[in-house]
Amino acid sequence: MKTLGAIAVIITGALLLYASEDFPAWGDPHSPASQYRVSQHYILKTFEETSVPNMVTAILADYRGYDTLFETVVIFTAGIAIIAILRGPIDKRVRLRLASEKKLRESNLILAQTCRLLVPIIQLFALYVIAHGHHSPGGGFQGGVIFGGSLILLAISFQLQTALDRVSEKKAILLAGVGVLIYSGIGLVCLLLGGNFLDYSILHNLLQVDPITARSHGILGVEIGVAFTVASIMFAIYANLSSRGRMKGGL
Amino acid sequence: MILNIACLALLTIGVVIFFGAVIGVLRFPDFYSRMHAAGISDTMSTISLLTAFALFQLHDLSWPNLLVVGKIFFIVAFISLTGPTSTHALMHAGYQRRNRPPVRKQEPDEDMT
Amino acid sequence: MIWQFDIIILGFLLIAAILALRETDLLSATMIFGVYSFLMCLLWAEMAAVDVAFTEAAVGAGASTVFLISTIYNTKRKSSD
Repeated sequence: MKTLGAIAVIITGALLLYASEDFPAWGDPHSPASQYRVSQHYILKTFEETSVPNMVTAILADYRGYDTLFETVVIFTAGIAIIAILRGPIDKRVRLRLASEKKLRESNLILAQTCRLLVPIIQLFALYVIAHGHHSPGGGFQGGVIFGGSLILLAISFQLQTALDRVSEKKAILLAGVGVLIYSGIGLVCLLLGGNFLDYSILHNLLQVDPITARSHGILGVEIGVAFTVASIMFAIYANLSSRGRMKGGL
Repeated sequence: MILNIACLALLTIGVVIFFGAVIGVLRFPDFYSRMHAAGISDTMSTISLLTAFALFQLHDLSWPNLLVVGKIFFIVAFISLTGPTSTHALMHAGYQRRNRPPVRKQEPDEDMT
Repeated sequence: MIWQFDIIILGFLLIAAILALRETDLLSATMIFGVYSFLMCLLWAEMAAVDVAFTEAAVGAGASTVFLISTIYNTKRKSSD
């Protein structure tokens, strides 16, 4: 079976390598992808239309906003599915392991103090990544993952309960829902004001700015929604995976 | 000119120390001395390499470049905090998982369960 | 894009991928997978797709490694394959 798989992989790889001969050169301005008028429109007009210097963020959250909305929903659904499968009551074996691990965990002072120092910095950096996605690489997904990572760090360096005291399981699931709600709510507000779904330029009356800046602000709102969902789902997945869904003990 | 020489010197120091770390990890006999080699030299060489990058940014003084230098020094502060701590955590975990004296003849890091 | 650098990273990427598949100790395989993700991140950054590189560094090398390790902690460490 393994050799069969290896043969299939080698044949496919060779075919792909052969096909890559016909690719245009890297960054070639005359390649079909760059010549197509949609991509030319994005490259030339993004800053005029949305006042966002980072083209990737503008395409992700504005031009392809519908796509990103359902990416967020996919992450939300994945998290809910993992919680639904793993979540269960605490059993005796886990309690025994907890008792034996408590001694191990308390003795490591240096690790705990360093993490106490680092977690706020990481969270601040995550917020910076979310809010600065217009100008530099970053945005809701990355910032959300970093924020969730800071909570995971808290759970690893102390105990899972320490992190759950800050963000309880119920709160995490609620925040994940709130994220999707923010995203689709912004789209709905656009719809109610008479524009298209997720057409942020219609928000300019509400925000008291010109339509171009309104699009930029709309992107920021959407990124915040994405970040809520991703951060809380990351933490919920970790909490369930590491403790077998018992929310006690863990890594 | 002086800036270039300083940059090159720092880069050379960083790369040489990194090389030492690699040799230490490959050649030292047991887990603890390997972690010793990796931990110390890794932090030191990363700091010197990043300082070299920061110095290279100072070729033309402007506010954006100074901002980059500031960010690089943030990374230096971060590395100097996390590097020793992660080494300590690994040592601690290794020591607690198997309570045996650190010096051994054979390959040690096979059975950590 | 510097093609020599590209070739070196791709070579390491191939080695990391094959090692991660062939390793029977799942914790080592996870570590090698983290190395793979980091090399992928370097490759994206080197092809000037900085956003993708950032995502790969955060998700691939950060979050997914933690998830895999916590899964291995609760299941078994040796692969039967």
